[in-house]
Order: sequence, then structure tokens, then C-alpha cells
Amino acid sequence: MKKEPIIELSHVTKIYGEYEKSVIALNDVSLKIFPKEFIAVTGPSGSGKSTLLHCMGLLDRPTEGKIFIEGRDVSRISGKDIAVLRGKKIGFVFQSHNLIPRLTVIENVILPGLIAGRKRVELEKKAIELLREVGIEHRAKHRGAHLSGGEQQRVAIARALINDPIIVLADEPTGALDTESSKEIMDLLEEMNKNRGVTVVFVSHDPEIARYGRRRIELVDGSVTYDGVNR
Amino acid sequence: MSISRSFAWSEIKEHKLIYTVIILVIAFTMASFLLENAYINYMMQVVNETVKNVTADVIITNPDCDVRDLYGTETTMKNAGEIARLIEERFPGYKASVRVTAQATYGVGLANESADGCTLQGIDIHDDVMVESLKKKIVAGRFFRDDDPILRGHTPLYIKINAPGNLPDIVYGAGQRLLREDEPYPVIVGAAAAKVHPSIISVGKELDLYICASARGANYASIRVKIIGLYESGTPTIDAMIWFIPADSLREIKCYGKVKGRSWIIPGIGSFHGFNPIEVDRNMGDAVIVKVPPPSISIDPIGYSEEVKRRIQSIVPDLKVFSWHDLLVYGAGSMQDVVTILLWGSMGVTLLLCGAAIKYVMDSIIIRKMREIGSLKAFGARDRVIFKIFLYQGLFIGSLSGVLGILIAILVMKIVNWYGISMQFIAGTQLKIGFVVNWFTVAISIILPILLSIAAASIPAKKAAMLPPVEALRRGEISL
Ligand SMILES: Nc1ncnc2c1ncn2[C@@H]1O[C@H](COP(=O)(O)OP(=O)(O)O)[C@@H](O)[C@H]1O
Ligand SMILES: [Mg+2]
Repeated sequence: MKKEPIIELSHVTKIYGEYEKSVIALNDVSLKIFPKEFIAVTGPSGSGKSTLLHCMGLLDRPTEGKIFIEGRDVSRISGKDIAVLRGKKIGFVFQSHNLIPRLTVIENVILPGLIAGRKRVELEKKAIELLREVGIEHRAKHRGAHLSGGEQQRVAIARALINDPIIVLADEPTGALDTESSKEIMDLLEEMNKNRGVTVVFVSHDPEIARYGRRRIELVDGSVTYDGVNR
Repeated sequence: MSISRSFAWSEIKEHKLIYTVIILVIAFTMASFLLENAYINYMMQVVNETVKNVTADVIITNPDCDVRDLYGTETTMKNAGEIARLIEERFPGYKASVRVTAQATYGVGLANESADGCTLQGIDIHDDVMVESLKKKIVAGRFFRDDDPILRGHTPLYIKINAPGNLPDIVYGAGQRLLREDEPYPVIVGAAAAKVHPSIISVGKELDLYICASARGANYASIRVKIIGLYESGTPTIDAMIWFIPADSLREIKCYGKVKGRSWIIPGIGSFHGFNPIEVDRNMGDAVIVKVPPPSISIDPIGYSEEVKRRIQSIVPDLKVFSWHDLLVYGAGSMQDVVTILLWGSMGVTLLLCGAAIKYVMDSIIIRKMREIGSLKAFGARDRVIFKIFLYQGLFIGSLSGVLGILIAILVMKIVNWYGISMQFIAGTQLKIGFVVNWFTVAISIILPILLSIAAASIPAKKAAMLPPVEALRRGEISL
């Protein structure tokens, strides 16, 4: 399993604000993420978990340090190319308000593909396949707004996979769900990781949920305090 | 459909009420701008044609004349014919005519008909620059003919008063009594004058005219005329004022020629002569009018008019040259300029307000759709894609309102033309309302709303595009 890392963070520091008001959200974080890993990011609220995911997901640039995606130094890539790279290589699942409510389920799923400039027909075929895998194929033509929270997250997972990303980043994917649905979603992510071999990094402050991760990264005040096998 | 366009479209659908209001406001603004412009253009065309009807592209007079004199009180030019010939020689394609004019009063002494005035325009019935256009405007009776009694070979009753004062009694009605055996001069009268004085003006009727035959001084002649035709220029004011008479008749009346015989001095009043033999001198007139071939491309009619004026002035440096534009400005031009500025001003203000409304609506969309924008960015949408979502909305609003504005304007013009709506004008006459569409204003009506709404949309569009994705995503997150 240990070959070339797909994402590498090298001495990444992220500081918000300036001078005395500044907040160190990430403090000299170095880590490598390898293919097919299933990683839980844990830590108390405000410890920098979301910031870590945003940096990994190229949504934010670190104040210091370097990020490599498949060996490429991201700091050398221009803003618009970063957007394209992000769309192709990274799938996101957010906590809530994930779907665009006026679009149908299938339209939501193919959206990242359309942004990447892929053909609609091909995307729709793929979307149906993914929706079947997440078990929500029967609601493909429904509007996003009409789905329950758990169903919405299933759709979000299908959407995250539409461009065959190298990694799926999920920030508190169960944060807005009840225990039952939370389990279902985590089972689904685990299944995707096993069957499709997609790397998953998810954030949770809930130890029950965090237990799903095979590897665990713990953050406290922006620093990595644990990085290893999840027990 | 691209992502930007489909997202723009769904925003438009979601905000259809407010966008419809904005579009309608812009459309009606542009429509009224177009209509008012077209109406002013039409009015200017009427004025323009009218001005050309009594004048021409260029008028040459003695240096002591001003614009007001062009309506009948020019001072005598002894060599008018030579000047006309010179101009035709020097500028091939130009046509020059000698104009003879006078001020006349009629209806004096008639029961129940107050006296009224008119400008007598002498017209060379074969070779005048405006014979053809006048012929086309005859609405009753006919144009002049060679067998009309244009010349009599003697002067009419003619009194020269040396000082300002009351006209002596002898003038009143004198023409009728003393010239009984002379046939009346033929005249063509404006249709509006006929409506104002139906009992004395109609085809076939005869009446007396008292003519002030000199511009500076007080030479009066009394003549009898017969109305052979009525014309309608399209502008009742002109029809009420301008009468046409053969130029040679007017030369005879004004004593432009060699007069053989003597006159009598009346002590304390002036001189008096009548019935002296006269041979009219075609070289004499009151003004020379020039008709100029139209420019090959008429982008700048005013510039062309001024250019023609300069050209002609160069060969008659000692005379006064009026361009068509001078006359237009005198007639209505400055009024048009002011109205046009007001039109543009009110249109501009409304458009700016609509622009502000567009910006405000889009700002609120951005705040509400922050997370959506963040998601799109997370899915790889470039800034340009987000920018275009808002730009397309602006483009849609702008082009739809522009097109709608033009359609509304066309509709109104069609309705007005269909019903032939007219406006009450002087003395119970009607002035038809018409439109002359200027392509420039049509272009403006479509381009300006588009430019404006794109400009208004680009401010929030830029803001949305520049939004850091992380910030956009953190909005609406339940907990950090
Ligand atoms: N845009 C920002 N401006 C200032 N401080 C911020 C901003 N975003 C996050 N932070 C701060 O950075 C720290 C880490 O935040 P975050 O990564 O969201 O933590 P977590 O997801 O672990 O709760 C927190 O103290 C938070 O207040
Ligand atoms: Mg967080």
C-alpha cells in the first residue's frame, strides 16, 4: 500500500487574520496521504480540521508550507488551473445544504462533470450507476430539496465520485444526521473506499463515527497530536 | 447549455417578478425615448421641408438682411439674375433662382372679415427650384400657366409715402375701381388660409391685396388677384402665411424694371404713379435661392449645409449667405436641441436607477446563494463561470428590455399611424402626428440597456467571482 503519496502536506501553516488578532488554524502540519486510505480527522471544535481539509482540497492556500498533489507543487499552479485540478481530482461531501435544491438528484450528481466540460450523455449514464451504488437510483428525477438529510448525503457521495477523483474529502458528513442515518452514510463511504478503491478523508468530532477510519489524524490547536492506526 | 447560462436562467426564473419589473421599466423608458425622438424627428422634417418650401438649401441676400427678412422683407438686389447665373456656372449641379417677395394685407374693409396678412412669394413658373414641389402640393385648383394674366405691361396703382403715417384714403379699394378692365393676377394660396377665411378665400375668388412693396421704406401698391389654386405644405402655419404669385407679376407690382412715364408728387404725402408702362427686369429680385444636390452620403447634413454655405460665400463675398441650417435653427433648431438633451437626460436617469436596481437584486442573490457559489467553486468552477452567471442575467435583462422597448415603440407608431391621430392646430386645422425613426436612436435603444445592465451586473458578478471558496462554504455551515 505504501507507494507514492497522492497528497502530501509539508510544513503547512495556515494563519487567519493579522497581528494580534491572528489565529493559527494549522501549525506546521506535515503528512502524506496514500492511495486507498480511509482516514478520520478528529479533534475538538476549532482545532483546524476544516482548515486542513480545505487546504488538502485546494480550496484554500496555506500561509506557509507546501502541498503536493500527485507530486505536483500546488503553489506553482495558477488560480484558474487550481479550480480545474480541484474539479477533476477532488470530490467533496459537505456537512449540510449540500445539494442545489432546484436541480434534480441526477442534475446535482452530474454538475461537477459538466463543470469539467464532460459530455452530458456520458455523465448521466455514470450518474445512474453511482446512484444505484448509493441506493437512491429511484429518486434520480426528484428535486434535491425533496430528499431527507440522509438521502441528500447519499446523493452528495455519488456527486463527489462523478469525476473519478483521487480522493474524497468529507467535512462532518454526518454532522446534520441522526445516529441511524449517520451509520448508513459511513457504511456507504467505507463501501466506496473498499469497492472503488477511492481514498477518503473525513472529519468528525464524534468518536463513534471517527471509529470508521482505519487511520486517524488528531488535531489540537492546529497541530497534529496523533497520526496513525485508528484504535 | 453552459453551466453559467443554466444557472443564470434559473436565477432569472427565481426572480422573475423583480426582473420583469426592471425589464418593463427599461423597455418603456426606451420606447418613450424612441417615440419622442421619432416624433421630434418628424416635426423637424416637417419644419425642414417647410423651410425649404419657402426658401431653399441656401439663400443669398443683401448684407443688410437678417433671417427674419427671408419671409418677405429682403431689400432689392439689382443683379440677382447675374448672381444666379454665376452660381450655376461655378457649381455644376447647383440650381439657382431669383426670388421676389413682398408682404401683403387682405380683407381690409370687408364686413365680418378682419384684415389678415401674408407673404407673397414670387416664383418663376418655369424655372424655379421649387416649381415641382409646389405642383405636387396643389390640393385644389391648378398651378400657373403661360396664358394666365401674369403681366399687364403697366404699373399698378402705386403710392410712395415718404414718411411713416396713416395710409391715405385713396389706397383703399382703389385697385378695384381704377383697374377695372385689368385682369387680376393669379395666386396660389395655402389651404390653411382658406380655412381661416372661407368666405373670401377659395379657388376662383378674387380679392384685393395691399402690398408693401419695399422692405425699407413705405411703398404701397394695391392690386387685385384671383385665386387659381390651393396648396398644402403639411404645416398649417406656412399655409396660412405664404401665397405664391408668378415672379414677373411681383416684379411688375414692385416696379422692378424700366418704367416709362411720369409720376405725380402729392405734397405732404409722397409720390403717386399708376398705369405707367413697365418692362420688367428679370435681373432684379429680392434674394437668390440655391438648390444643392444632396451629398453622396448624408451622415452630417449640418456640416454639409455649412460647407455649401462657405462655398457660395466665397463667390459672393459682399452678400449675405444663409444656409438651410441657419434657417432651421431660426425656425426650431435650438428648441430641438434642448428637447433632445432633456430626452437623453430623463432616459439616462431612469436607466441609472434600473442599473442600481439590478445591482441591488444581484447583491441579495449573492448573499443568499453564497453556499451554492462555494459549492460550484469546490466542484472546479473557475471564477469566470461564476462571473458569467451574473453577467448573463444582465445581458438577458438588457437585451430583452431593449428589444421589448423597440417593439412597444413600433406598436405605438403603428397604432398612431393606423388611426391617423392628429393634433389640434391653429384655426381648426389638424397637424398629423407622425414619426421619423432615426436608426441611431434604435441602435441606442438596444445597445444602451445592454451596456447598462451588463455594467450594473458586472459589479456583483465580480464580487461573486472573487469570493474565496472557503468563505462561501463556511456560510450556512451549522458548526465550524
Ligand atoms: N476565515 C477565518 N477567519 C478567521 N479565523 C478563522 C477563519 N476560518 C477559521 N478560523 C479559525 O480557525 C480555527 C480553525 O477553524 P476550523 O478549521 O473551522 O476548525 P474545526 O473545523 O476543527 O472546528 C478556528 O479557531 C476558527 O475560528
Ligand atoms: Mg469544521
